[in-house]
Amino acid sequence: MKRLAAVVTLLGLAAATAACSGGSTNKSGGTGGGGGLFTTIDVNRPGLEASAPANPYNPKGNSFPGYSSMKLGWVKNHLTDPNQALPGIAASWEIAPDNSAITLKLQPNAKWSDGKPVTADDVKLSIGIAYTQGSTAFSVTPGAAGAAAEVTVVDPQTVKVTQDMANPSPKFARGVLDTTVLPAHVWSSVLPADFWDKLKAARGEGADAEKAREEITGLGEKVIAFAPPKDVSAGPFVLERVNPSEALLVKNKYFYNAANVAPAQVKFLNYTGNEQIWNYLIAGKLDHAGFTAAPTDVMNRIKQAPGNEVIKGYSPVAVGMAFNQSKKPYDNVHVRRGLAYLIDRDQVTKVASPEGGTPALTTSGIHQKAAQAWIPDTLPKLEQYKPDVAKAEAEFKQAGLVKKDGKWALADGSAWKVSMHAPSGFSDWLSAQENIKSQLVKAGVDAEVVTTADYPLYLEELNAGKYEVGFWLMALGPAPYDIFQRLYGASNGWANVAGKVEHSAPGKNGNWMGGPEEIEVGGQKINPGELTAKLNSSDEAAAKPIMAQLAQAANQDLPVIQLWDYVNTQFVNNSRFTGWPHDDSILRMGTGVLPSGVWIQQGLIKAKQ
Amino acid sequence: MTLIARRLAGHLARGFVMILVVATISFFIINNIPGDPMAARYEKLVEGGMAPEAARQAVKVLYGFQPDGTLWQQYTEFIGGLFRLDLGVSVSRPGTPVLDVLTDAAKWTVLPVLAGTLLSFLVGIILGVYAAIKRTGRLGDALSVSGSLLHGVPQYVLALLLTMIFATLLGVLPADGSVDILYEPGWNAGYLGSLVEHALLPVLTYALSAYGGWILAMKSSVVTVLGDDFILAAELRGMKRSIVFRYIARNAILPLFTMLALSLGLLLGGAVFIEKIFNYPGLGWLLIGAVNDRDYALMGGAFLLITVGTILANIVADLFYTVIDPRVRSGEEVS
Amino acid sequence: MSATLIPETGSAASTLRRNFWRGVWRVMRRKPSRLVGVVILAAFVLMAVLGPMLLPSPLPNDPTAITQPPSAEHWFGTDPQGRDVLALVVTGSRYVLLTAAITALITVVAGTSIGLFSGFKRGRWDTVLMRLTDMKLTIPGLPLLLVLATVWRFGSPWQMGLVLGLLGWGGVARAVRSQTLSLRERGFIEAARGLGLSTTHIIGKELLPSMAPYIAMNMLIAVTGAVYSQVGLFFLGVLPYESDNWGVMLNLAVFQAGALITPNAIGYLLGPLLAILLLTLAIVLVVDAMDEIFNPRLREE
Repeated sequence: MKRLAAVVTLLGLAAATAACSGGSTNKSGGTGGGGGLFTTIDVNRPGLEASAPANPYNPKGNSFPGYSSMKLGWVKNHLTDPNQALPGIAASWEIAPDNSAITLKLQPNAKWSDGKPVTADDVKLSIGIAYTQGSTAFSVTPGAAGAAAEVTVVDPQTVKVTQDMANPSPKFARGVLDTTVLPAHVWSSVLPADFWDKLKAARGEGADAEKAREEITGLGEKVIAFAPPKDVSAGPFVLERVNPSEALLVKNKYFYNAANVAPAQVKFLNYTGNEQIWNYLIAGKLDHAGFTAAPTDVMNRIKQAPGNEVIKGYSPVAVGMAFNQSKKPYDNVHVRRGLAYLIDRDQVTKVASPEGGTPALTTSGIHQKAAQAWIPDTLPKLEQYKPDVAKAEAEFKQAGLVKKDGKWALADGSAWKVSMHAPSGFSDWLSAQENIKSQLVKAGVDAEVVTTADYPLYLEELNAGKYEVGFWLMALGPAPYDIFQRLYGASNGWANVAGKVEHSAPGKNGNWMGGPEEIEVGGQKINPGELTAKLNSSDEAAAKPIMAQLAQAANQDLPVIQLWDYVNTQFVNNSRFTGWPHDDSILRMGTGVLPSGVWIQQGLIKAKQ
Repeated sequence: MTLIARRLAGHLARGFVMILVVATISFFIINNIPGDPMAARYEKLVEGGMAPEAARQAVKVLYGFQPDGTLWQQYTEFIGGLFRLDLGVSVSRPGTPVLDVLTDAAKWTVLPVLAGTLLSFLVGIILGVYAAIKRTGRLGDALSVSGSLLHGVPQYVLALLLTMIFATLLGVLPADGSVDILYEPGWNAGYLGSLVEHALLPVLTYALSAYGGWILAMKSSVVTVLGDDFILAAELRGMKRSIVFRYIARNAILPLFTMLALSLGLLLGGAVFIEKIFNYPGLGWLLIGAVNDRDYALMGGAFLLITVGTILANIVADLFYTVIDPRVRSGEEVS
Repeated sequence: MSATLIPETGSAASTLRRNFWRGVWRVMRRKPSRLVGVVILAAFVLMAVLGPMLLPSPLPNDPTAITQPPSAEHWFGTDPQGRDVLALVVTGSRYVLLTAAITALITVVAGTSIGLFSGFKRGRWDTVLMRLTDMKLTIPGLPLLLVLATVWRFGSPWQMGLVLGLLGWGGVARAVRSQTLSLRERGFIEAARGLGLSTTHIIGKELLPSMAPYIAMNMLIAVTGAVYSQVGLFFLGVLPYESDNWGVMLNLAVFQAGALITPNAIGYLLGPLLAILLLTLAIVLVVDAMDEIFNPRLREE
């Protein structure tokens, strides 16, 4: 019995040590509890990583843009003007009329959470770091569209960035404003002293330039792995501690607008699946959560929870059913049109994304809200492809398909089965495909849904041209080029490198859509890829007629059938905080930014008394 | 004791070989996994509005973390890295060594697994003895059937039912996360309370799903040790129940410690469902995440660590067996 | 009485065979509830074979009635596509049971032959094979399946059953080997040899029949494990899938329809959940009955 007792004691001891070591992951300090706690969730980034550094460039980094990391400005998703932004570290800026330069004036009172002031040198170092990571404005790729040419520190409060006008982009200013600002006194070691000379060399041509580019890319790894000893933030909050389920941020008293920052603490909850977010929302735990797809029943429960409010706005994304036109019979436009007439998009959207999307009015390649702003005159002229079995049959007949025993078959009499692919985690896509399948089968077109284990595999197989039909995100605004390059870009054969457009044959260089190089639109032959590339350097006025042409091309030729346009759904709770914005462009910030952080730092959010 | 030392040496050598074999297998499986995590990352950047050119450069930086060279070079480097406890760099967590990520997660697996197993072990052996003694009665019968049933029900079914009852319907226990961040880590009531509160449902699931097995094992062990005669005789003589219990415990429980060690090892890997359902950030949870992210290094590392845990548990179990089994102790080899 | 303390495994095969039917009869007579397991199991097999034939394919869907709670028309409600959950459970049973059958076949064939060979030959082969079995039993199955799921597509029940079978024969092999060794120790085989019986005869007519119950029990245990891991893998969502699979239904119920949150989807979760529970109950009852029949120490005279 003695031995038994010893074993039990030993196991007990082990449990105690485990409990102890389980808790010692984090830094100590700070106070727990207290009022003014703001609870939110980063819907873009599932999975908090307790051992990751407070580094905004690390994919798992414990850095929260809008809360504990600051950008020069917070870019908005305006329908037509990509350069609109809310002030961040830059209090104001001036954009040259020809987009050739942007001059930034920094916040006069901006300070880091250790009390040191934020200066133009911090900004310059941050731009240098951005170069190592590849960003839209700070690219070492020679001739890249919208790349910066020169960064000048005018005075400790002013920085000027000029654009390389060899291949200018209308959204250059957006790229500059969207730069994260890092403290030079913490981060300076990641860049060598001769970094700016290297950068100059990298912009040239030849072997030396190539070598310099390699070196800069190599520095990128160092940047990603860099772990500051503690978080130094210029934002309204600074990281206190993280565990694998939650992160705690406390107010940064040195923040320039600290007087108007309502919460004293911010808690980030972790999640791995949407159902967790639904649970938090139904419990009324979250003060704010970004767009999360939810079925109607769940959405109703969320709305019923005390204080909850659902704010809807514009989200520049749509989803389409894309065809691989190198596979028969999808090479025939009449087959694609026939399918478009068969699919009831209202029903698809109702089943698949009742709250997160609105049925696409037609296939234009543009989100319907943006379409009204860009091409209001063309929009009514487009064919809407309302469900119409007779028209579908006429199209199929024109394509040479034959109907045998109530089932459509290929011209040679062999069986035809529409095989749709989606990654298994994308539940709204799968629901949509299941619904489309049942619609098609009812109409005599055999169909199946094939799932792929996950998104990386889906993309690999899609790019390799293994699928006949797959779902594809499109209409990514707000810049016109970003909208149409999803239909007439690399995936359809047109690669745009350094302002030069090259077309690859179907099946080569990632051209899995395999559409024709030229399309006849209104009696005129156009090359949609080249037109799309032109958008990359056109201003608003020049872009509009091109977009009208491209929308017509997409509508007639149907490389994809646009199914639904996403809606930006924000969940907020009015029990503890109020002042939530309802303006579309403030609702949805640039990529990866946590909008509630921006609203808080602008002083919009007030604590409820 | 020399015998035990000899056995230990043998086990360690075999365990070492096995770890190498498993490492090799996982290296080659993982190197053949289809799917391109970089393509997914690129796609995500472009979908977020980054220019394709810029996104390509951004992805190239991340590629820098991935090993290059021929398959053989990568393999020797991987095996060499194992000796330095270097498991490579993960795709989804670049810049953070896989080992750090794994040890962080392992802490969260070990805690509830230990608690759940010990709980089920204690309850299981007590009920098991009872079931063995009363096996002619209706209650004893019910105990063993319920034991087999609970032993048979998959963990995820139990976990889902428990979540439904305690977290959704009653709302009394959290079914997500590890500990409330507001409490400062350390030996304070708030922190420990939150830790226990969050671990309660996972521990309960472990305990419920395992204790059926212990009842059955204990019952058959008791029956083997005593046979029907003893119980009959004891009952006839009206012996005190506590004395019967002590006699049984001493002789029937020891073989179960071997099983306990084994099950601890296996539970390390069996935690996948419970951690997924309760969002408990342990090794199994990490492994599922790594599979979904196609994070080769992390997947391989998690799998290897889980296997090493099982191997170690096997060695411990066998040594334990050596210590308690007089035949082995006296030098007799048992096949 | 004391004779029952000695394991009876070595008694001659013919007696055991006779005992078997007598045991079955006795157990059935004493506790008819044991029969329930067999009945449920048979019902599941019938459902898997006939069910999909009686139901239309594809199953009809009603977009106006998606994710409905249980009602008189739909006993377990409808799924997010507006299909009857019960019909999905029925069509889904085919994959589960076919996988289980293939796993059982492979487990029995591989486990028995390896166990027999190992126990018969002993010596070096035994050591090698048993080390291999040990190793297989040591590598944790579910994590291995998770890793394998990234390489293999378990699209058809054949592939799934094959992998699960190849991972699951260890238990049967162990049981068969120890039985063979034990029979051997009792001079059973030597005696048969002495009578001039061929090895095939010894194995086919004498060894296997006496071991059949142990093989069957271990097989059932392996099959239960296989069913769980299979449904579990789909539940975790790491595999590409079909919609009428129990694991997929569980996954979609919890992670897409919010069955733990909204009462409307509860039927969608309970349908496959109860099916698994019922199947478990059936197998447990059958194993328990077999245990009662074959384990002399647990048998009451």
